[in-house]
Amino acid sequence: MTVTGTAATAAPERGTRTLAPGPHRRRVRLNHYTIAPLVLIAANVVLFALFFVWPAVIGFGYSFTDYTGVGDPTFIGGQNYVELVGDPSFYAALLRTLLFTVMVVPLSFVVSLFIANLMVSDYAKGKPVARVIFFLPWLVSPIITGVVWRWLFGENFGLVNFVIESLGGKAVPWQSNANLSLMVVVFAATWAGMAFSMLLFIAAIKNVPTSYYEAASLDGAGPVRLFFSITLPNIAPTSFIVVLLTTIGTMKEYALFVSLNNGGPGTENNLLVQYIYQTGFQRGQIGYASAASFVLMIILMAIALIQLAVNKKAGSR
Amino acid sequence: MTLKKSPTGPSRLRRALAAVAAVSAAAIVLAGCSSSGSSSSDSDKKLTLWLSSSAAQQAGYDQLVKEYKQKTGVQVKIVNIPYSGYSTKLRDAAQANALPDIASVPALDPIWTKKLIDLSSIVDTKSNKINKNFIAKTSDGDVLAIPSDVTASGLFINKSLFEKAGVSYPTSPDKTWTWEEFIKAADQVRESTGAKYDLTFDASPSRLRAMVYEMGGKYVHADSSGTFSTDKKTQKAVDYFVSLNNDTIMPKSVWTSGADPSALFQSGQVVAYWSGVWQVSSFAESITKFDWASVPTPAQPVQASDVNSGGLVVGFNNSDSESTAAKAFLSWMYKPAQYKKLTEVNGYLPVESGLDPQYPFKSTAAQDAFKLYNDELPLYAPISGYFNQAQTKWVLNGKSLTTDPSVTELGKAINGQESTSEALKNIVDGYNQQVGK
Amino acid sequence: MSASSDILRTGALAAEGRRRTPHRKKNIASRQIGRHLSATTLLWVFAIGFAFPLLWFVLSSFKPSGDLFSYPLTLFPKQWTLSGYTTAWQSFDFAQYFINTIIVACVTTVLTVAASCASGYALAKYQNRWLKVFFVCILATTMLPTEVMLAPSFLVIRDLGLYNALAGIIVPSILTATGVLMFRSFFLTVPDDLVEAARIDGARELSIFFRIMVPLSRPIMLTLAIFSFQWRWNDYIWPLLVLNDPSKFTLQIGIQSIVGAQNINWSVLLGASVISMIPLVILYLVFQKYVMGANINAGLKD
Repeated sequence: MTVTGTAATAAPERGTRTLAPGPHRRRVRLNHYTIAPLVLIAANVVLFALFFVWPAVIGFGYSFTDYTGVGDPTFIGGQNYVELVGDPSFYAALLRTLLFTVMVVPLSFVVSLFIANLMVSDYAKGKPVARVIFFLPWLVSPIITGVVWRWLFGENFGLVNFVIESLGGKAVPWQSNANLSLMVVVFAATWAGMAFSMLLFIAAIKNVPTSYYEAASLDGAGPVRLFFSITLPNIAPTSFIVVLLTTIGTMKEYALFVSLNNGGPGTENNLLVQYIYQTGFQRGQIGYASAASFVLMIILMAIALIQLAVNKKAGSR
Repeated sequence: MTLKKSPTGPSRLRRALAAVAAVSAAAIVLAGCSSSGSSSSDSDKKLTLWLSSSAAQQAGYDQLVKEYKQKTGVQVKIVNIPYSGYSTKLRDAAQANALPDIASVPALDPIWTKKLIDLSSIVDTKSNKINKNFIAKTSDGDVLAIPSDVTASGLFINKSLFEKAGVSYPTSPDKTWTWEEFIKAADQVRESTGAKYDLTFDASPSRLRAMVYEMGGKYVHADSSGTFSTDKKTQKAVDYFVSLNNDTIMPKSVWTSGADPSALFQSGQVVAYWSGVWQVSSFAESITKFDWASVPTPAQPVQASDVNSGGLVVGFNNSDSESTAAKAFLSWMYKPAQYKKLTEVNGYLPVESGLDPQYPFKSTAAQDAFKLYNDELPLYAPISGYFNQAQTKWVLNGKSLTTDPSVTELGKAINGQESTSEALKNIVDGYNQQVGK
Repeated sequence: MSASSDILRTGALAAEGRRRTPHRKKNIASRQIGRHLSATTLLWVFAIGFAFPLLWFVLSSFKPSGDLFSYPLTLFPKQWTLSGYTTAWQSFDFAQYFINTIIVACVTTVLTVAASCASGYALAKYQNRWLKVFFVCILATTMLPTEVMLAPSFLVIRDLGLYNALAGIIVPSILTATGVLMFRSFFLTVPDDLVEAARIDGARELSIFFRIMVPLSRPIMLTLAIFSFQWRWNDYIWPLLVLNDPSKFTLQIGIQSIVGAQNINWSVLLGASVISMIPLVILYLVFQKYVMGANINAGLKD
């Protein structure tokens, strides 16, 4: 009883505090409660130790050896790392990966946020059908995504070129031009991954108190203003994890490239994970592949920590 | 408590969730239990056979297993493992001591070759007439693997287009054409029928090897010391191959960006397709819009192909009784009567000679194709089997060519990222690094 | 923060606005028609864009394999057939694989939601250095490519005795950074006052979590449940490596077995893929209905 009572009376000041939780204040107050959080995270700590730390330590060990998957590994120190840092195709792959990420993350963010807003809008008609349409691409396996998008953007017999040519245009080299080929994967990745971000956004938007919207719209705010002044600030934590997760996921994209252009033309669209596969695992150089994987992890961690810091700064402003 | 939600909806949901949780808990118990209590009691009466094939090519084994059960009471359980992940699974199963008793594998792997049983008695049985070029034999004389079948690269044409253009093509191996004659004929067909390309060519090192052999090269070849190199004719053949990828004769997208050559050929807009015998049974069903035919492999002037073992049949030594039972099954399977049935149902080129299999295809194109492949095989130059034998030797020496760099490097060459000679050099380096001395 | 002051302002104006409504009715009505139109149009422009590639996928699954790649391109099958579906259904033990996959997906989902909810709450509502470290650790789990973890993880599973057990694919998948992050960001938006009021009221820490926080997070639970179900449903390589006994195989293992070394039977693969997606769509529709349920945050917010 009192719980809700207090919560209700506390409501008016909540806006400020929810969005900018004063870290210092909370630390002082909650610092005594150390056992409860430990209990709460216990299960995940154990799982983390068993299924991440343990295998990762083994993998990290491999990265200092010449392990090929057969026989006993020999310790070779940091040689794998030295070789990696000296390999120009590693940097080419890294640059291409960053380029891909810089294109996919904003596109996917904007599209999914926009669609999520339409999906919760009272004004849009036909949502039940649209809901399924937007969800389905996320279920399609990469190999099918590959064949579907090749059917659309195939250079030789693709639908898009078919339409362009029947309108009198010239066939576009969707596969043999590296940049166009990357663009096709950008669209396919956005198409395939949109539902994930959309669902996160929908859950977050549904969590914004309806009274905020009612109040603001009675005040004469249009949908655009409602979005920018109420929705966007209130879903900020979710926006952050969407950006973080899509960044990590995009940097590790592999299956889609294999099924769409196999990193081609040539090796021009080899991203980092594909580089790791081709120069490492597929040639039986487990040690080298492990080293490259840990470098990838460091890069991703740096990106994540920067995003966390930026987010914290923006949140405390 | 206003915190509790409206009674109807969410409580139903909660009940549903509770039910899910209960089912899950029960399932976890089941899952936990079943992990332990297997494979103990009558292991001598039950064998496991792993393979990776389409459902259609599993049928031959299904039939054999059924017959074997009736005859001997021994049950052989077949597990069809997806191709992608099969080799990893074999490695991991070896580490977990959970290998099957029998398997048909795509390649040997040094990780588990020590666990294989010797099959030499099957090969030494004269009446089986097993072609010894394809078996995997150690220096001690142990036979570790016998092919389930033989595969060869081969040429398919769109017969309808040839007929429409009025261009003739060879039908028997002794009157075959050269690559240049073939391309010329295909050019003519393309131009007069308005087809898009002369040829699609599987992005596969094996197909390239076949072409190089036919043009007199040895592709990437080890000398007596085990060091790899290429020769002038190979260089010439590869140059020729790269020049064919000009988006007129061949679409660049197959070798540079993974387009599906089989799908392109099946569109009916490509005059010919350089692939292999495994396509025959699927074309028999999937090509309905035009007539197709298998034609003899070009010879310029060498009559050759890249001949490989299809699956390698091996037995694993899990225990004395199990390995004896496994060997008994394999000895029975390779007897001509049984093996003939297997090749017929699965559409295999046999590794045993003198069988004269009657394939069950309704399509005459498929029947003719199999006849052609069976006729051509004995005519091929010995180099056609070089790679298959070399591969076995590498594995027995504890090495393996996990990925052939050919497709990646030549993809780069076709894409203009490097010259053909640079690509060849990189391929040779890749071989030396992985399987060289 | 400008946004929050906006909210405060609009909140203060709300009471006044409510009184004024009758006068504005007409104006609002005409404006609403416009909004209906534009929102619906936009929604369907996007929906059609997204549906187009799907359309080829679904329609092609009804084509005989001879029509799949024939030229000129056609979208609709000239001759409808279910042969892809029937062949797919017969090519492996679909029903058994279905049941196995459902067991795995249900159990993992329940456990994932529980573990993520607890961890996410702890990370959002408690502050100490170790929790921050743990948060970064959780993030780290997403950062290694699957392949590099595959072989070492397999050794772990083997040493734990989970080889060839469904538990061997369930337990390692429980921890997900996405789930923890989702709950963390949700609980960050739950006012601290709610926790503190309960404490003043004498509630114990864990009972605050179970009695107040867990029920509040239902939309996140359901959303994560959809995610987790999809992930486990489409898992392929890990179940293949861990499971040895075909009576335990999951759906994707069956579907992948259609993809051969040298050629792919596309019409069978398309049919099998369509069948495999149906349960996910049903689950999604049911769960999404609850997420979209209007009053889901009534207790918390106002």
